[in-house]
Amino acid sequence: MPFSTYLDGIRGDCRELVAQLGRHFEYVSILGTDVRSTAYNADRKMSNARDNEGECGFVIKMHSGRSFYEYSCDDISADKKALAEKITNAVKTDGALDDRRIKTAEISDEPMIKDFVRENDFDKYSDEYLLKVCKDISDKLCAKDEKVLNAICAIQTHTVSKLFVTKNRELSQYYGWANGGKFVIYNDGKMVQARKSEGAGTLAEIIEKLYKGLDEVIDLAKHLTKAEPVKPGVYDVITDSSITGLIAHEAFGHGVEMDQFVKDRAMAKHCVGQYVASPITNMHDGAAAAQSVASYFFDDDGVLAHDTQIIKDGILVAGLSDLGSATQLGTEPTGNGRRDNYRRKAYSRMTNTFFSKGTDKLEDMIASVKHGYMLFETNNGMEDPKNWQIQCTAEYGIEIKDGKLTENYVSPVVMSGSVPELLKSISMISDEFEIHGSGFCGKGYKEWVRVSDGGPNLKARVKLG
Amino acid sequence: MKNLINILDNYSGIDGYRVIEKTVKSYELFFVHRDLETVRSTDTTSTEVTVYVKHDGFEGDSVFHVFKSMTDGDIKNKIKTAAARALLVSNQPYELPDKGELEAELPTNLDKYEPETLGRMIADAVYDADTEPGGSINALEIFIYRDTTHVINSRGVDKKQTVNRVMIEAIPTFTDEKQSVELYEDYRFTVFDKEKLTAEIAEKMKEVADRYKAEKPGRELNINVVLRPHETAWLCGELAYDCNYRAIYMHANLHKEGDVLQTGDGDKINLTMRGVIEGSENAAFFDGDGASLKDTQIIKDGVVCGSYGAVRFGQYLGIKEPSGALGCLELGAGTLTDEEIEKEPYIECASMSGIQIDLYNDYIGGEIRLAYLHENGAVTPITGITMSAKLSEVLSNLRLSEKTDVMRNYKGPVKLLMKGVSVL
Repeated sequence: MPFSTYLDGIRGDCRELVAQLGRHFEYVSILGTDVRSTAYNADRKMSNARDNEGECGFVIKMHSGRSFYEYSCDDISADKKALAEKITNAVKTDGALDDRRIKTAEISDEPMIKDFVRENDFDKYSDEYLLKVCKDISDKLCAKDEKVLNAICAIQTHTVSKLFVTKNRELSQYYGWANGGKFVIYNDGKMVQARKSEGAGTLAEIIEKLYKGLDEVIDLAKHLTKAEPVKPGVYDVITDSSITGLIAHEAFGHGVEMDQFVKDRAMAKHCVGQYVASPITNMHDGAAAAQSVASYFFDDDGVLAHDTQIIKDGILVAGLSDLGSATQLGTEPTGNGRRDNYRRKAYSRMTNTFFSKGTDKLEDMIASVKHGYMLFETNNGMEDPKNWQIQCTAEYGIEIKDGKLTENYVSPVVMSGSVPELLKSISMISDEFEIHGSGFCGKGYKEWVRVSDGGPNLKARVKLG
Repeated sequence: MKNLINILDNYSGIDGYRVIEKTVKSYELFFVHRDLETVRSTDTTSTEVTVYVKHDGFEGDSVFHVFKSMTDGDIKNKIKTAAARALLVSNQPYELPDKGELEAELPTNLDKYEPETLGRMIADAVYDADTEPGGSINALEIFIYRDTTHVINSRGVDKKQTVNRVMIEAIPTFTDEKQSVELYEDYRFTVFDKEKLTAEIAEKMKEVADRYKAEKPGRELNINVVLRPHETAWLCGELAYDCNYRAIYMHANLHKEGDVLQTGDGDKINLTMRGVIEGSENAAFFDGDGASLKDTQIIKDGVVCGSYGAVRFGQYLGIKEPSGALGCLELGAGTLTDEEIEKEPYIECASMSGIQIDLYNDYIGGEIRLAYLHENGAVTPITGITMSAKLSEVLSNLRLSEKTDVMRNYKGPVKLLMKGVSVL
């Protein structure tokens, strides 16, 4: 499917409304979104083929020279003068707040007219075929072992059309992403869940990945039935690329979202130019930094995608900003302004966040550990950018003894502690590299956006409990 | 909505439908320190349609969404696609709830004010608490919502409910020349009480000053740990999901009716799922199917005694009168008094990164950002610690306070005491 015909047809209305509101505001932008998502899943008892929640609407952003104003609505086709008046009334404030407004620099509105498209193969696959794949994989997993109580296979496609219009700028973008996952509920005296999630730009890749590793998911489930929680303590750990990404994201990514700099909510604000990690550590973020679920052409403020190096040789060099925070800080926005959907505010958000690969071999890294754990598969994490504490939970870990992986699994594994201590403890980085594009990220407990993260294997020393 | 229902009623290729229309009107203020950064207003509607098609003794269903941008032709094409998808799906049939009209609004005082006035009053209430030396509120986000949910189905259900609610995210911070610390807090209410809000924020301002003073204990602890309602609600939510019809039908539940969760001599768990808890923004008179809600006890005296959930999975399990998708939890009060708590050393968790609960792996734990160590008559703020314990042992021996409160979708004890927890 190409760029939304609806958004394409409403470009003129956007320009007209920008002009109308431009009589009252110094800067006006309109972001139109048309996002569609389809989901297929099957398990032992049920199946489903349906549209997931998409969105189709507009957010109009205005700037008075001081505060920002936003209005979200479903339709802008009405009389523009009346609509502009309605919008202006909807964002009025109590007079007592008139003197309590931020001061910002002027917003740059560099001229640009461009349409961006990243093709996908979603239309090549019928609903019937995709549902059949889900049922087939579910059946195959259930047939592998009688202890499998249920096996679920899911595929999702996600297409995004966005139109951004200001007085001088008109951008459009169309891109897509696909996710897949297999999930087993297994009971061998102890009930466990084992899962494997995938992300890719095409359905062909997702289907291929889903069919791979069926035995591995069952094998993981078997091991998890024997797993115990880890004995609390400080250990040498080796991370898989998923946990590397979780550390990049939670330990440091949130801390360099520059809307937190504006609010004095991030310790990183005071650490630019300082060592924050081991000197062998390099970290990036950007919609243009990798090809994954968060790879777009321009952000929700109409700023083109960047590749931002956050940590260079252990030194913090840059943060991530949206238009609002960059305007307040007097910096250039980095293309990280993202919204949960058109109903929500844009914040500085991560996109594709990862540590760069190093030169060590994974086998040498494992061999270097006398006693510790290799940690696998992200479960969840929580940031604390002000105080630089972290909590990251891995689905499971495998004990390493005398430089060798054992058959001892632990689950769940909660990593916690001080961010600088963790990052400065990184002593080896592998020459392998993988990005995982199946996750979502919240800001606090809300504002969910799709993100990817990953990198190489890391060797670090952390508290597990 | 009328046009959509008309199209669905006249479409011959489906056997039933359900429409959920959600309209959200909001007014939002975003402050950086004490200055207004952004003013937002939203007026949006989302419409979800499920169509049902019976075939070969089975029933298929499929969902699509209707946007304002769609023409009648677009909607008919969406129905056609959904009906074709439903034919690919061979699920066990079930009956949507039938007949019933309702138009209700949860009690509130929020609608007495213009949004911009209420927004300013809430901001004043929050900043009035900013009186601690060294303290500040570095960021404040105020969301004033009026949500209307309208459910119509092909079997005569037509129910509408409106909820007025406020969500606040405030960041109390304590700063001096050496360092700066913060706590993250969100508050949700359906009735505005200025004094109560100011008092709650003031309490957090004191706690963030304590976080500044807090230090990591010099030793590993094995100690009683007291949880507050935020974490207790999370634990109850995990226990409740295990009793949900869907989890049972999918074989994802760990416990079944009659299973004993508590073998020790602590306070017994009595957990009831409710549709309405006064003061909760999650209170509802009906669920997404339009089904009336029937309060259901799921754990009685520490023993799993019931299950709950949407009519679909209830019918799949053969339950005659499914409860409907209940969204509120009530945990019965216990017998624990403040005097009893003080008899042994304990820590009270004031702020956690996010409690981690894993029923399958019998685990409860998480990083604690601020706690108070009560020991030998002294109260010491501590930080930089992680707790972990076996969930089954915690459940067996837990104690619940006599005093209860409401937080979000939870009503229950304000304190839950876990015995002998490892704190590193």
